[in-house]
Amino acid sequence: MSASFIFILLLALMLTGMPISISLGLTVLGFLFLFTHVPLESVALKLFTGIEKFEIMAIPFFILAGNFLTHGGVAKRMIRFASAMVGHMYGGLGLSGVLACALFAAISGSSPATVVAIGSILLPAMMKAGFPKKFGAGIITTSGALGILIPPSIVMVMYSVATSTSVGALFMAGVVPGITLALVLGGVTYYRARKFDYPRLPKASWGERWKTFRESIWGLLLIMIVMGGIYTGLFTPTEAAAMSAVYAFIIAVFVYKDLRFKDVPRVLLNSANMSAMLLYIITNAMLFSFIMTNENIPQALASWMLGNGLGVITFLLACNIILLLAGNFMEPSSIVLIFAPILFPVAMKLGIDPVHFGIIMVVNMEVGMCHPPVGLNLYVASGITKMGITELTIAVWPWLLSMLGFLMMITYWPSLSLWLPRMLGMVQ
Amino acid sequence: MKFLDHLEEWLITFLMAGATLIIFVAVVHRYAASNTGSIPALQDWLLTLNFTWAQELTIIMFVWMAKFGAAYGVRTGIHVGVDVLINRLDEKLRSKFIVFGLFAGALFTFIVASLGGYFVWENGANHAFLQLMGTPVGDVPEGPTTPDLEWPTWIVYLAIPLGSSLMCFRFLQVLVSFIKTGELPHHDHGHVDGLDDDNLHPSESNRGMKEGIK
Repeated sequence: MSASFIFILLLALMLTGMPISISLGLTVLGFLFLFTHVPLESVALKLFTGIEKFEIMAIPFFILAGNFLTHGGVAKRMIRFASAMVGHMYGGLGLSGVLACALFAAISGSSPATVVAIGSILLPAMMKAGFPKKFGAGIITTSGALGILIPPSIVMVMYSVATSTSVGALFMAGVVPGITLALVLGGVTYYRARKFDYPRLPKASWGERWKTFRESIWGLLLIMIVMGGIYTGLFTPTEAAAMSAVYAFIIAVFVYKDLRFKDVPRVLLNSANMSAMLLYIITNAMLFSFIMTNENIPQALASWMLGNGLGVITFLLACNIILLLAGNFMEPSSIVLIFAPILFPVAMKLGIDPVHFGIIMVVNMEVGMCHPPVGLNLYVASGITKMGITELTIAVWPWLLSMLGFLMMITYWPSLSLWLPRMLGMVQ
Repeated sequence: MKFLDHLEEWLITFLMAGATLIIFVAVVHRYAASNTGSIPALQDWLLTLNFTWAQELTIIMFVWMAKFGAAYGVRTGIHVGVDVLINRLDEKLRSKFIVFGLFAGALFTFIVASLGGYFVWENGANHAFLQLMGTPVGDVPEGPTTPDLEWPTWIVYLAIPLGSSLMCFRFLQVLVSFIKTGELPHHDHGHVDGLDDDNLHPSESNRGMKEGIK
């Protein structure tokens, strides 16, 4: 009874178009006021303590680092390095785009940022080189989604906040699936470019490759700082995020000099704006998950599933469908924060590994970012290419379909995600 | 009004930069203090510096940044909602829903501000106020302090009533301007500064790229 009240109220409030954070908060207040005797003052305290965790602070730091990095210099050099390496193969600049997105994803924690950073430079170049618009748009929209699968990843931090899973283990678990997905997307690009005979770049010599590598080394080093720092235990993930923000600032302002010093306050303000929005959703989602647990809703769901003899396979399939559907309405952070507290306890009862479940959620979010109506990557790509959303949707489908196949693989093959963290002794 | 806008922007920019620097310095310090064994004098000096408070201060700064940034976010229109459904309605009905949404935002932030204010008052502000006025404190409790910095928690928690009131004010501001002009602040998630004027400048020796781009 109370469960259905909560969900109907939340859904109704959300559909009026008010901010998700506000609808979460009002649902909680409404429920507490009408159905329980929990003192309302405790809500105020929860609003503060909800984000009073050091782990959560990784989010603003990663956003800040990402904003320093999207200022062109790093992305530009990574694209050059990528085209020197794979540009001569079928797919040419397109294949370079996939590689550049994967490299940029390894230093940025957000998908739209990856699409912007790589797409705004590469897409115009591809059109000039004679590629059809939709080929380039399809590649960048889907490869940009690698941003949240290849660590660091803001969505993974969100998942870890919602479920208390180790961020370090999640980051490590994202590596192999990330590389696999890059290979899958690269494969589709290669196949289609070969079929339609798109232009290729002349083969670069090893000297040129070395030169482009040396130029992009400052960006590539950041991968070592974040992953190496977390793996060796030198930093916690939050500290690694702060280090990468300072490092990205130094690179952008002093090494590549593509950001003027007087623009720094504006970058800080924009990052603060974005972080505050996410932190505000987190606080309200924390309240929401507090009443969820208080009302034993996840437990009820779990015992219902077990009572009906539904096993792991059905549950994961249902999760994928729910998350893909939710991807039609909300952006990833909100989905993870709302659904993880509900689905996670059920997954634990069924014996699914918490890290593996996190990767499944992240891949679902990736798919959601690449299709309408709210796929953020799609809108960013549409902004860059000036293509309509419908046209883009059609352009994206060969890559999107392969992503759905990849999602199935991730869902039912846990070792793909768990192999690396297991090797490193981060999960059993 | 302009002054308030600037104060808000200045505050969150400062908190963002400050928190990042503090953690950076704390990490460098921790690393240096454990790796300067060969220079005992330097290590001794480093060990006298105490950075245990860094984490707590960062959290406090970020919570303040989050509360005031959320208010700034209302002004920039960054708080996203599910607008798939209402965007399909006709203009008149849609604006009714938008007004409702903004009103709900103002209501929620108002409730939170009052709850937060009450909480802060009960947890030490009352005591501090009485002490300041020189009146006998009686059995009004002094309120707890934070673990590392030992600041009174009520000052730290003041972020909730202050930030939430400001946010409420911003919602009402946007509501009024929407009714007057029919315009909403809109945040373009796809836009990133510095890329509009920037394009590839391939270096001379970079043959492959140059041919691909030009």
